[in-house]
Amino acid sequence: MASRREVLQGLIVSIGGASALAACGGLPTVVSTSPTVAGRFYTRREMALLSRLSDLIIPRTETPGALDVNVPGYLDGLMSDWANDATRRAHRESLLQLERSLEQRAGGEFTLAEESVAERALTELDAAAFNGDDNLRGYRNLKGYITRAYFATEGGAVEELKWVSVPGRWDPAVEISS
Amino acid sequence: MADFDAIVVGSGMSGGMSAKELTERGLKVLVLERGPEIVPERDYTDQLAPWQSPNLDSVAQDEIAEHYPTQYGGVAYAIKESTKHFWVKDDEHPYVAAEGTSYDWLRGYHTAGRSIMWSRQTYRMGPQDFEANKQDGNGVDWPVRYADIVPWYEKVETFIGVAGTAAGLPQLPDSVFQPAFELTGAEKALKSKVETAFPGRNIIPARIAHITAATAEQRALGRSNCQARNRCEHGCTFKAYFSSLNATLPAAERTGNLTIIHNAIVQSVEYDAASNRVSGVRVVDAQSNEKRLYTARVIFLNASAIASAMILLQSKSATFPNGLANRSDQVGRNLMDHVSGAGANGLMSGFDNMKVFGRRPSGGIYIPRYANITEKNKPYLRGFGYQGGARPLGNANGQIPGIGQAFKEAHRTAGPWRVSVGAFGEQLPNPNNRVTLHAARRDRWGNPLALFDVRYSDNERIMLEEARKDAVAMLEVAGCSNINSSPVNLTRPGNRIHEMGSARMGRDPTTSVLNGWCQAHDIPNLFITDGSFMASSACQNPSLSYMAFSARAVDYAVGLLAEGKI
Repeated sequence: MASRREVLQGLIVSIGGASALAACGGLPTVVSTSPTVAGRFYTRREMALLSRLSDLIIPRTETPGALDVNVPGYLDGLMSDWANDATRRAHRESLLQLERSLEQRAGGEFTLAEESVAERALTELDAAAFNGDDNLRGYRNLKGYITRAYFATEGGAVEELKWVSVPGRWDPAVEISS
Repeated sequence: MADFDAIVVGSGMSGGMSAKELTERGLKVLVLERGPEIVPERDYTDQLAPWQSPNLDSVAQDEIAEHYPTQYGGVAYAIKESTKHFWVKDDEHPYVAAEGTSYDWLRGYHTAGRSIMWSRQTYRMGPQDFEANKQDGNGVDWPVRYADIVPWYEKVETFIGVAGTAAGLPQLPDSVFQPAFELTGAEKALKSKVETAFPGRNIIPARIAHITAATAEQRALGRSNCQARNRCEHGCTFKAYFSSLNATLPAAERTGNLTIIHNAIVQSVEYDAASNRVSGVRVVDAQSNEKRLYTARVIFLNASAIASAMILLQSKSATFPNGLANRSDQVGRNLMDHVSGAGANGLMSGFDNMKVFGRRPSGGIYIPRYANITEKNKPYLRGFGYQGGARPLGNANGQIPGIGQAFKEAHRTAGPWRVSVGAFGEQLPNPNNRVTLHAARRDRWGNPLALFDVRYSDNERIMLEEARKDAVAMLEVAGCSNINSSPVNLTRPGNRIHEMGSARMGRDPTTSVLNGWCQAHDIPNLFITDGSFMASSACQNPSLSYMAFSARAVDYAVGLLAEGKI
């Protein structure tokens, strides 16, 4: 299985809009946008930022990561087809603010930063966001979008969450070790 | 000769039960439904996997603003892209709230009405509920007592299927139960600590209209046990939860005595002054605007507390210039709902190594009313129950700190459990809380718009303030941390979707619309068995009571028909 860094690099060199990404290691084939190409809503720069954030927040592990299931593409559709103008504006503004904040923490372009640097910058920002920094509410919203989109995909729901369509029974007390 | 033996207006919770009971007694019955037909194979969406609905299954924001501002504002959790067809479009079905007031009229116009979208919490009223009006002087005395309705509760519960546990509580009598959905460990801990610290308060599994041990009667209707999917607001292909469409209407249909006509909006009820009988209903077709008259020997109004009152008010004649069966001037008055907006939540540790399997439908726990029952001298009348539950915090939609693998996996590990409880309080009957016909504005079919004027009293406000404090106290004794309890923010009237009381029953024809059989005091072959008849709201979810009173009223009406009295 390719590392998530390899996956991200593979996406970055992919040019030409939406493309089919055959994920490695038996993961399902997913249709992906490219971090280097604008979506229907996101600019190329926004798409690159969103892809990096999605990958850092929900990486590939033994289950698909956010990029494997095309969370950026999902959110591009969400902003294009679901959001109203006010939401789009607020979302775009928060992305811009987020990019600046991450650049400061990373000491340069966040989307091009070494993985360890980017991870450290986002970890710091995430901690601040969940420690009462109201200026980072936009990040919390975005993190919510990314997470919800991820678990709304088949990969996120079935492989990561072990979502079962028809459980057939209710068991209120399952030991996690089991 | 009449077209039918009986007409039932409305196919929802109570209309379905009226139709079932009437047809099973051999009457030819016409059910009039104002909305289109719901075909489960076509219209239920419970088989869709989450990834088969785009955009998080959310309705586009512009579409909400245009078509669903009130419906979505009231029940956002239930209005999804895949379920929006179960809810009316506000712009197509407008209504008006009096200046300085607001009202949530949350509806679905289609086969089975809101019985498709209800929350399925199912509780009997208790003896105290039928005596409250008499004791504290609010409203009029119920002309029935708990013992009168017990056999009908049992009959309905056996038919619909109620999952729950016997608790032996006088104020919340046990139903005929199928096995309950067992409490989680955190809920059991909450129960133990609260019941120890507050003798007289009890925590029980929510009683819900889901089949867990299907009977032969239920299987014969194609119903099967709940599969713990919690996709109920999409409809249920297993027919495991009760709705008219899953149970009563099929039961009526198999008798061969049922006719259902959809898109038939009832505009008025025909009244014959010479015989002092209603003889039929006038409808307008929602699609073609064609007007028709259907006749019957007996008429049951089950259109909802609001719509039934409006039909009466629209049915004016020389005998009833203020609306049919309205000599008391109580039609449309005493409109009640339940009131929420007070509660608390907190985290409970000690269960971090536990998770659940399956998705329990509807509620987890119920805290029956204790105020002014086991705990006296409250600074308000009557009381409230709490609905709630405890579940792992795990899947918190990204609102937990951290990134990377640990964050990702936190969504499938249980972590701390969040306990939450929210109050459902009784609203006192008040004749000034009413729905009337708007003097000028009409809908696209020419019917007057509903005009609501409903306000809470100090009793509801004080009650909910106390409910909030009680909720916090119970979570504290349970050892919860991070307890949150927002300032009380009362739900808008109507928001609990338990509207009732608009044609109350009572002993005196000059002060009430219906007698104890849900029969109009003024007109012997007119019955109203939706929430209109409720003389008080109690604090329990009311659908079970609507159905029990419907079954009882049918039994009475059929007896009168057999005796030639109506």
